[in-house]
Amino acid sequence: MAIAIHPYTEDRIAAVKAFNQRLGAGGVAPEFHFPESHIPYWLPPLDGRRLYQEFYVALEGDTVRGAFILKHQDFSLSGATEPVVYYHLPVSEGIVNKAYAGVGVLMLRSAVKMQPVLFALGMGGFDRPLPTMLKAMGWSLSEVAFYFRINHPVRFLRQIAPLRRSFGRRALANLATFSGGGYLAIKTAQSLRTSRGDRSIRTEIVRSFGPWADELWRHNASRYPLIADRSSAALNVLYPPGKDFICLRITRAGETVGWTVLLDTQMRDNKYFGNLRVGAMADCFAAPEHAAQVIQAATQILEERNVDLVIANHSNTAWGKAFLSNGYFEGPSNFIFAASKALAEKLAPLDTNRPNIYFMRGDGDGPVNL
Amino acid sequence: MSAPLFDRLRTIAADVLEVTPAKISADSSPESIETWDSVHHLNLVLALEQEFNLQFEPEEIDQMKDIQHILDILGSKVA
Repeated sequence: MAIAIHPYTEDRIAAVKAFNQRLGAGGVAPEFHFPESHIPYWLPPLDGRRLYQEFYVALEGDTVRGAFILKHQDFSLSGATEPVVYYHLPVSEGIVNKAYAGVGVLMLRSAVKMQPVLFALGMGGFDRPLPTMLKAMGWSLSEVAFYFRINHPVRFLRQIAPLRRSFGRRALANLATFSGGGYLAIKTAQSLRTSRGDRSIRTEIVRSFGPWADELWRHNASRYPLIADRSSAALNVLYPPGKDFICLRITRAGETVGWTVLLDTQMRDNKYFGNLRVGAMADCFAAPEHAAQVIQAATQILEERNVDLVIANHSNTAWGKAFLSNGYFEGPSNFIFAASKALAEKLAPLDTNRPNIYFMRGDGDGPVNL
Repeated sequence: MSAPLFDRLRTIAADVLEVTPAKISADSSPESIETWDSVHHLNLVLALEQEFNLQFEPEEIDQMKDIQHILDILGSKVA
């Protein structure tokens, strides 16, 4: 029986539940199961709103054999406002039943046919199946850099998982912890890398984004060849009050210099961060020349909250330099940006524009893992 | 089946799926060939498109359940 792609409607909820049960029986972890509501909990379609998600299912008769999500959002693309769609959470029965090995390809090809200007983000590293397939299909892939700054070196060295993965590295980490060499080495390295702060900036915690954010967006969006809409309307949907977001507005002499959205999360047996308390810059925006001030403000707030570690992903090289000048290290990243052929054509010349595109952890499916 | 077309398909499939051509038969499928997963399935589709200078529709990709089905679809497009 042929498999066809359809919107996920209410009458298909039972079929999606059965699909998830088969995935679970095949060993797929719950975080990779498909939502069992046909209406997205996050960013549901609302009349007139240009920021929303759509759910699709791959149906063989009445049986769901796969599903994926498209997130619709305006971007500033070479200075013009255009929709660019995010392809995510593709789940295929082929993961647990090889008779359906073609479903993943079918879904991807269908998504590209529906929405040629498409991107994917995150995905866990270049060697994962989805990035491998995207590369084979001629998409352009690049790493979104990862930056970190250690506030409590002893706890960091005890907990940080990648360092501890092998006995050799575990021994080194323990030795550094007990000898104090690790603590001193980290503190010294960060101190040497941190340039003098800008004392003229002021930071305030805000509950929502207003006209000040729109003015900042209007003046600076075109400075980046590709950046998701960061107007106040979009930001107030993405980061509503009442959630765990810490939203900061950074000003100098009364003028808005930038803003940032932070998270402060106590990790529990996290495969990357163990039991560290992790502060994250999930999102931010400013002119490139003010990146250092925004990062300085964010870092100060998070370290005053006593996090063990501050982290961020950022694709833009000017912001990358600003992280380094604030004493951050660059670490291994498994956060990948992939542009469809149509999107890459709009970003031509891609090699010139790629270092200046703007993606952070808050883009894509949001800071869900922080 | 068209012998020359099958031979070309078998050669490509063996190369993509990293098996000897002798292991590819008309009823070979993801269930019978261990390396034939979703990534290799995509690579097979792309290799065939390049070899035969054509593009498969999503509906045709859906029908590619085994080598025989792929051969039938190829046969209808290259004739």
